[in-house]
This record gives sequence, C-alpha cells and structure tokens, in this order.
Amino acid sequence: MAPPPQSQRSSSPSQPSGKGEVADVKSQLRNLAGSRAPGVDDSKRELFKKVISYMTIGIDVSSVFGEMVMCSATSDIVLKKMCYLYVGNYAKVNPDLALLTINFLQRDCKDADPMIRGLALRSLCSLRVANLVEYLVGPLGAGLKDNNSYVRMIAVMGVLKLYHISASTCVDADFPAMLKHLLLNDRDTQVVANCLSALQEIWSLEGSTSEEVSREREILLSKPVIYYLLNRIREFSEWAQCLVLELVGKYVPADSSEIFDVMNLLEDRLQHANGAVVLATTKVFLQLTLSMTDVHQQVYERIKAPLLTLVSSGSPEQSYAVLSHLHLLVTRAPFIFSSDYKHFYCQYNEPSYVKKLKLEMLTAVANESNTYEIVTELCEYAANVDIPIARESIRAVGKIALQQYDVNAIVDRLLQFLEMEKDYVTAEALVLVKDLLRKYPQWSHDCIAVVGNISSKNVQEPKAKAALIWMLGEYSQEMQDAPYILESLIENWEDEHSAEVRLHLLTAVMKCFFKRPPETQKSLGAALAAGLADFHQDVHDRALFYYRLLQYDMSTAEQVVNPPKQAVSVFADTQSSEIKDRIFDEFNSLSVVYQQPSYMFTYKEHRGPFEFSDEIGNLSIGTESADTVAQAHRVEANDKDLLLSTSEKEETRGLNNNSSAYSAPSYDVSSVPVPTSQMSELAISNPSVPGNAPQSGFAIDDLLGLGLPAAPAPAPSPPPLKLNPKAVLDPTTFQQKWRQLPISLSQEYSITPEGVAALTTPQALLRHMQGQAIHCIASGGQSPNFKFFFFAQKAEESSTFLVECIVNTSSAKAQIKIKADDQSATQPFSSVFQSALSKFGMP
Amino acid sequence: MAGAVSALFLLDIKGRVLIWRDYRGDVSAVQAERFFTKLIEKEVDPESHDPVVHDNGVSYLFIQHNNVYLMTASRQNCNAASLLFFLHRIVDVFKHYFEELEEESLRDNFVVVYELLDEMMDFGYPQYTEAKILSEFIKTDAYRMEVTQRPPMAVTNAVSWRSEGIRYKKNEVFLDVVESVNILVNSNGQIIRSDVVGALKMRTYLSGMPECKLGLNDRVLLEAQGRATKGKAIDLEDIKFHQCVRLARFENDRTISFVPPDGAFDLMTYRLSTQVKPLIWVEAQIERHSKSRIEILVKARSQFKERSTATNVEIEVPVLSDATNPEVRTSLGSAAYAPESDALIWKIRSFPGGKEYMLRAEFRLPSITAEEATPERKAPIRVKFEIPYFTVSGIQVRYLKIIEKSGYQALPWVRYITMAGEYELRLI
Repeated sequence: MAPPPQSQRSSSPSQPSGKGEVADVKSQLRNLAGSRAPGVDDSKRELFKKVISYMTIGIDVSSVFGEMVMCSATSDIVLKKMCYLYVGNYAKVNPDLALLTINFLQRDCKDADPMIRGLALRSLCSLRVANLVEYLVGPLGAGLKDNNSYVRMIAVMGVLKLYHISASTCVDADFPAMLKHLLLNDRDTQVVANCLSALQEIWSLEGSTSEEVSREREILLSKPVIYYLLNRIREFSEWAQCLVLELVGKYVPADSSEIFDVMNLLEDRLQHANGAVVLATTKVFLQLTLSMTDVHQQVYERIKAPLLTLVSSGSPEQSYAVLSHLHLLVTRAPFIFSSDYKHFYCQYNEPSYVKKLKLEMLTAVANESNTYEIVTELCEYAANVDIPIARESIRAVGKIALQQYDVNAIVDRLLQFLEMEKDYVTAEALVLVKDLLRKYPQWSHDCIAVVGNISSKNVQEPKAKAALIWMLGEYSQEMQDAPYILESLIENWEDEHSAEVRLHLLTAVMKCFFKRPPETQKSLGAALAAGLADFHQDVHDRALFYYRLLQYDMSTAEQVVNPPKQAVSVFADTQSSEIKDRIFDEFNSLSVVYQQPSYMFTYKEHRGPFEFSDEIGNLSIGTESADTVAQAHRVEANDKDLLLSTSEKEETRGLNNNSSAYSAPSYDVSSVPVPTSQMSELAISNPSVPGNAPQSGFAIDDLLGLGLPAAPAPAPSPPPLKLNPKAVLDPTTFQQKWRQLPISLSQEYSITPEGVAALTTPQALLRHMQGQAIHCIASGGQSPNFKFFFFAQKAEESSTFLVECIVNTSSAKAQIKIKADDQSATQPFSSVFQSALSKFGMP
Repeated sequence: MAGAVSALFLLDIKGRVLIWRDYRGDVSAVQAERFFTKLIEKEVDPESHDPVVHDNGVSYLFIQHNNVYLMTASRQNCNAASLLFFLHRIVDVFKHYFEELEEESLRDNFVVVYELLDEMMDFGYPQYTEAKILSEFIKTDAYRMEVTQRPPMAVTNAVSWRSEGIRYKKNEVFLDVVESVNILVNSNGQIIRSDVVGALKMRTYLSGMPECKLGLNDRVLLEAQGRATKGKAIDLEDIKFHQCVRLARFENDRTISFVPPDGAFDLMTYRLSTQVKPLIWVEAQIERHSKSRIEILVKARSQFKERSTATNVEIEVPVLSDATNPEVRTSLGSAAYAPESDALIWKIRSFPGGKEYMLRAEFRLPSITAEEATPERKAPIRVKFEIPYFTVSGIQVRYLKIIEKSGYQALPWVRYITMAGEYELRLI
C-alpha cells in the first residue's frame, strides 16, 4: 500500500497543462496519494471519475499519469478499474510512463481477489507497448494456470494480445501449446471458447511459415477435437456456440453416417432463440451436405422455417442480415422459397433497406406458378410514395419479365406503368420495355403503340431517354413520327448533356435513315455535323466513323448499322459462378451482405501482423482472404490475360516488340452483329487501319491522329529481364525476406489443360520451372491443391524475386503472390513467370 | 475465421462519439466519427440506410436506439448477422442497467459503461452478455457497493443463466402467452398474407434452483402419449426456446423442462402460418364531393366470438396531407386527426365481439393544388388491438410444475392475450 517516495514522483515527466482543471485535479490527486484517512477512497473516486470524463470528451489528461499510478494503490475495485482504463488509454502514446504502471499491475496480478487478478492481467496485456512484452510472460503464464476461470479466460485472450504485439515472444514462451491444453481440458466453456478464438487466429497467422504449425492447425479440425466440442456445445454461451459451429462447418466428416450424426446432434440448435446460432447451424448443415445432393435439398427444406421466422420477427437489422443470407440461398436453389413468396411482401413502415432486399427476394423466387401474384404485389409498390422503392419495384417487374417465358401479363403491366404519367415511373418503364424488346421482339407491336404516345419532352433521365431513342431508331418503320421526333431531338443537340444519349441519337438516326431515307436525310446530316463538332471523344469518333462508313459504301454501312438482329436469349449475369461459390463458402459473414468475396473488401496494408494470414482451415478459402486485389485489379488481370495470350511469345523472346503487344483485333466489321452499345469500340478500332479509310472532304488528318490515343495504348515495354539460372537462396533468408517485403503483385492465372494433366505431383512443376531459371524452395499439398514457394534472381545483379504460388488443378487456376527486392521489376518478372507456367505440360 | 471487432462506438444522434472502446487498435475514432457523421448527414432519413457499410477497408455495422447509435468497426470479414444481434444484446444490457438507453443515461454512467464494454467483449470477441450475470460483478451504484465483489460464479456453474442463492419470500411465476397477428390485405379485400407469432413470456420470482416443467396442448406430444386429443390440440411451427430449455429433452419426448433465469425472459417463441380470419375488419370509403370537400366513411367490424372483447383498439386511417378542418362523428369511441402522421386515429377502449361500428369524417381541401403535386400517399389502414383471455392458435398451458429441493410451493399465474402485430389493410 505504501506509495513510492514522493521525491521520485515529482520528477515525473508531467508537462504543465494549459488547462486549469487538469492542474487542479493533479494537485488534489497528489494530496490524496499518500493519505490513509477514512473516506479517502470516495474522494479518489470523484477525482478519478473527473479524469476519466475528461479523457472521454477528448481532453488530454496524460499529464496526471504519475499521480494516477500513485493513487492506484488501493483495494477498491472501482478505483482500480478506472485507473486501468486510464492507463490503457495513455500507455501506448507514452511508453515511458507505461513502464511506471508495470510494477503495480504485476503486483495486482498476484492479488488475492480473482476479480483484481483478472482485471490487472487484462490491462497489462492491453498496454500494447512492444518493449514491455517481457513483463507479460510471467503473469500470463500464471494466469493460464490460475484456479479461477475468470482469470484464465482473460489470460487466454491476453496470449492473443501478446501475439499481436510480439509473435516471437508468444511462441517462444510456448503459449500456443498451453492454450491447446486448456482447449481440450478446461472445465469452463468460456475459457475453451477463448482458446478456440485465440488459437485459430494465432495458427492461421503462424501457419504459412511453418509446417509444424499447419499440422497443429489441422488438429483443430480433427475428429476428436470436433466431437469434444460438439458434445459440450450446449454448455457454451451463445456467441461461443457460433464460434464452435463455424469451426464445425470446416470439418470434413469421413462418411455419410458421420454427417448425419453431426446433423442430428445439432438439429436442436435451429431452435435456439439467438438468430446468430441459427445461422451458424445453417452454415454447418449446408457445408456438410454439399456433396450429397439429395440431402442438401432436404437441408434447404429444414432450415426454411427457422430462417423465415427470423426475418419476420425481431429488429429490422436482423431481418436485413437474414434476408441477405436468404437471397444467397435462393440464388442457389430458387425453388425452395417459391411457395413462401408472401413472406417477402413489404410492410408499410419497414425501413427501405429491408424493402429493397425483399424486392430482390421476390424477383429471385418468381416462377411460373407465382409470377402473377408477385407482379400484382410489385405493382402496388410502384404507386408507392417512396420513390426509390417504387423504382426498384418497377425494375423488379422487369427482371421477372426477362426471366419468364410467359410474359403476356407482365407486358401489359409495364405498359400500364407508361400510362401512369409519373416521370420516374415512365423513365424506369421505358428502360425495361427496351430490354424486353431485345429479348422478345414479338411484343414490339403492342409496345411500340404505347411508346409512340410518350412525348420525349417528358423524359429527362439519360437512361430512359437513351432507351426511348433506341426504340425510335430500331422501330422507325413502325412509328410514324420517328424521323420527326429524332429531328427535333437533334435540333436540341446542344442542350443534351448526356454523352450516352447523344451516342444513341447518332445511331438511331443512322438506323432511321436506312429505313426511311427521304424523311431522315436532313437530320442525319445535321446529326453527323453536330457529332463531329462534339467535344466528347466517343461521340466525335462515332460520328466520324458513321460518316466514313457512309462514304465508303452505303450497303456495307447498312449492314453494319441495321444487321438482322437475334433476340437476346439470356442477359449476362453480372457475377461469375465462381465468385458466387466463394461467397457461399463464406456464408454467415460480411461477404454475403456485400455480395462480394472477402478479398474484395479486406485490405492487407492495414493488417499489420495479419500479413501472413494466408490460410484458414483450407487452402482455397484462405488464400483468397489474404488477396489484396480489389475487383478492378481482377478485371485488369483478366484483360492482361487476353492481351498477353496473343503476344506471349514475343514477350518471352525479349519483350521488345512494341506494336505486337497489342494487335488490333482484325474482325470482319460487316459480319459481326454488334449490339449498339458496343459501337464505340468499333469506332476506336477503325482508325488503326487507316489504309482502308477513304479520304474525306474534311480536314481529318489531325482527327486521325487524335483517334489513335483513344485506343488502349500498349504499356511501354520494359527492358528484357534475364534470370540467373544458378541462383541460390537458403530457406532462412527466404523466410526473412518473405516477412519483410510487401507483396508487390498478386494475381490469378489460368493453367492450360495440359499443365493440369502434368501436375500429378509437385515435383513435375519444380523441374519444369527450374528449366526457366525459377527455383523452388518449398512445396507441398495434394491434388487438387498444391502450394509452392519459388525464388529467382536477376542475372546481372543480386535482386531477388519471391513467389508464392497456389495451384488448384480442379479449377485450373494458379494464384501468385510476388515479392521483390526491386519492385519495379515485378511486372516483367510476373510475365516471365506466367509464360513459364503456361508452357508447363507442353511437349 | 469468425472475424473480430476492432472497436465499439456509442455515438449520439449527430454521429459524434460519446464513448468508444478500442479493442484491437487498428481503427481510429476520428476517422470512424467523420465517416459516420457524413453518412447520416447526407441521408434524408438516416433510418433508411443499410445497417452495414464499408468505407476504406473498414466495415461499420450499426443500429439505432433512441438517440444513440451503437456501432462496431472491423477490418476483418466478421460475422455480420451475429454482430447485429450482439449490438441488440448490448442495448438489452444497458437497458437492464440504466432503465433506458439514451444519451443522458450513458453520460451519467460512463464508468459503468466502460466496465460493461470491457466485460462484454474482449479483443473483439463477444464474452458475457447476460445482464443478470454481469450485474453480479458490475454494480450500478458504485458508492453503495459494500458487498465484496465476486467473479462471475455462473461461469463455473452448469447453469450459466442463473446464480445460486436467490431467495424470495413468496415464490411466484407469471406466464404470459402473447400472440401477435400479422395480416396484410390488398386493395381487393383479399388476405394476401397472414401469420401468427407467439411468445411465452415468463417472469419468475423463485428461490433456489427450481426445476420447471411446462405442458402444452401440443398435438405431437398428446399423440405420442397415446392420449385421445380431448379438446383442441395445436400444431406449432418453428418453435424457438430460451437457452435454459433442455432442447434434447424436447426433441426426444416434447417435454419442456428447464431451470429458469431469475426475472423476466422469453421462454419460447413460435410461429403459425395458418390463414387466420382478420379479427377486426375495417373498410373505408372515400367520397370527394367537390374539389375542396372530402368525406371518409369507415366501418369496423369485430370477427371474433361475442364473449371476447378487444381492448385499446386503435384504427389509423390515412388522409391526404393537405386536408384541414376535420369534422368527425363516431358511433363508438373517439377519433382525432393527427396531422403529424397524416392520419385519422380512431380509438375504441372496448370493442365487443361480433359488432360493427362506424366513423364518418369530413375534411376540407385547399381548392388550389400545386402543378408539381407530390405523388399521392398510398398508406394502408393500420389497426392495433389487444384481446385478453384469447389466443388465435388455441394454445393452452396444461400445467406448469415447479420443483425445488427445499420443497416450497410456488404459484403459477397464466394469462393469455392476442395482439395486432403488423396489421395492414390496403383498402384506400
């Protein structure tokens, strides 16, 4: 209880605070520090409370650090808690001060009261000061063996905190092994649960560097551990149950009877009052039965009722979370909810985020039997006061129409929308009618009659206007006024702000010209002139293209502009099935809410110690979670693939040939039925064959010159990269470098079928890559997942490249992460690596 | 990996941080506050924003309660649903501690709030969230805390939701069977959706470690016991129990047996999707006599047995937002115009079964209307009511046995009530 000598305190590094209050508190605290008068704790409490409240509102009270520590010598637990809170807040910014607190925290860790032991240990581990870790090991070790479960539970989390401050200290003290022991032996379930969280995190971070650890991690998913946890699951708190269930979802049972055992054991979890447990159980059921089609379907039936109840009871946020998951399920098995569509009808005062999801659900579950009811309901929303929802509803009707074969009734409804004479309804409906006509040209007669009555003046939104103009061009034969409406639109060219609309206007007037030449000729001339003078590059280019096309040959021009069209049978899905599968693998996480796999929204640069968290549980999920590339990069990578495939050989020869890296696709313009929206691409590719373009009366030479940069210019080719065929690197250096260097490139490549066939053992690829001066330092895995670590060195200097390469032969994909001493050389190296990989398996 | 939360924020209605707890040190309060303030500023109606948002690598999940936002921030791919449930649980805990969760109560009790945040979550992983258990070692009134602190004993207990050593002079249990009826009627008068959500709400004031057993007229159970179903047996769909109920036991022989927590809790919830006849039917006719005069005629009919009576009936009829000078007459109850919600609210204290009542209202409308008139409201008629001593499903408590080793006699009190849930008729 004796406070440290006053003299020492007075030299504490407390700056004079500008704020009178703080200085006041400081002196009061100092007076109380040594006092043992009765009631002193009460006065301390008042002061501590004041300090904490200053801290909370953002006043810097770090200057009273010394005094707070002095006053902490007390048996009063609330005082202690406040003091711990204070210390935890300021320790990180004042590591020197933090050292002062170690002493009393360590002492409290040995207190007779388990509450104090626990709280002190928690604060000690929360200091987050790297040079104090040595003081943590002792108390943590004792805490893990404490006879009170409260202390153990905190100690387990403390180990994880220590790991994040200093991984090596944590591992060297053998804490993971102690956690494993507690996981399997502790009586208290919260201790077990915390062990599970901590070990999963530690092992997944540690896993990529050591074989031993990855074996340990597999033990978590072994039968005895899983069964041990399953048998105790009822004793766990609801959150801990979620944790266990998440783990069980990754377990791979040996046979189907085991699968049924697990499901029978967990059946009652679907009746748990906490929705989180229900969702976690759902995930287990779905994952376990993935390979058993029949049972998988039955699972959908079984989980339906609990999930629907969760949607209709509880908070809107709960409905939102559960609906996101239902939406994912319904895209995988549309039939399951087709008779329950009424559950997705919107209530009047639901928040619009719930309504939006419900509309998506209604779209997804619509089929032959329920379309009529669903569309009727959606039409009620279209007249709703909530405009965004009304719009969404109309779009939903459109989506359903595009899914269905029997669209008779829906078309009528859409046409009714057009007659409602509300601007936003008309706008949405126009866009839909356009899409509908592309799929069902047979409805043109009915639709055009109605569309013809719409005054273009009432349509202002660019998308809707573009749709209307498209219809005017496409059906100018059927619509009496088409040329004249177009004419008036062209007259107002200057007032049209949207480039999209102007592009459509150009195309429409061209189409109309070939169908009704005499009436359109004048407008066509006006449109082309306006287009050529347009400041927007695409509009200008398209006008120029049409102009030359007309000069070149009228009939060819007609073939380009008005080719016989095929009805679109299926509109492209925006998401690949692979991405959807990945989201499904991450069921019950943010991925489902965002409708994106986790690698698209978790960024590595902030992860700090997580940088190596490549794997969790299994290869295929784990590697993705560490992937930094956002969607844009991914697309870019794909593009590159396309480009490279034509020019690969040149690149490997020396990467010198500039023009061949991008050779303009030489397709026959007249024979390709290109949808109008892609016309701009054609316009761009045209100038690259200038020999064919007839000279026009305009001064177009400079225009030609302007046209070219619009084409995706090939990247300036990098200097040739030569690799040292006899490079050497010892494993320790590799590991060190791998830890230090940031990932400079992360990509996914496809592997040729020949390559997949040749990759029966890892060795095959090793030998092949060695031939390309890329050496392997470690490899492992079994079909279909292989993992390799490669390295290579530049021939002339000792700059090293490190590569992690994960190959999945079933999807024929390789995921590559490159780290390099010389970041700038990553790109050429990546090309070399990729070309080496692509030659694998070739004779 | 079930991701961990980086930090938990309590924000005021303008999105400013009241209190926050940093668990993992990888998000900044300033950034979170700035982001969230912007988010709620740009939204006309903040409640319409998705409760999950992503900004610059950080996922924010939030809920609103009174004038407080509760928000988590995380850099990992965490379990979204579970966190939203967790936030609601935090609200429950705060309500238990401070009666009501609002800005004021947080400001007044920030020390306790910090303590609670520390115990409910550690390093981003949820820990104890049972208010009853927490209140054993975190006391609200720090000054009067003379009793020595105990670490949560429940941890070592097999029964984590109940502590030992509870004493009551009079041992009583109150069981309320509450059913709420959700109904949606479309403009043609067809019922397009109806279901019943039921809950058995319990309040227990029992000493020691009582063992309870509840018997319902559950068809599966009665048939399993080979009992001829005397009277009505019911089929319950999708039953969910409080964690105290031994689920395995229920799976085996449909017995509901449990050691109850102390105080109020929901023992069980269930849902029935059988079509129910609307208990109160409302029809409305709108007549526009001239450009500036409108008349609304509302008929309300009770469609349940005469021996039951609905109480606190409230019928909300939407009216045009620019209506003025209401003149209302009713055959029962009172009606008032509520301009703030653009509705006419008709209140009937007591509405016997099998009866019909009328309301007639006349409004004046401005004779000049704007060219750019906002689209007409299409709000439904909404009805609220309670019918005591009656359940739609016909569920009945056959017995509630309470056995404690000290052998005291406990009194069980059972009540039934049916209420309107989401009760909407789109008839105008």
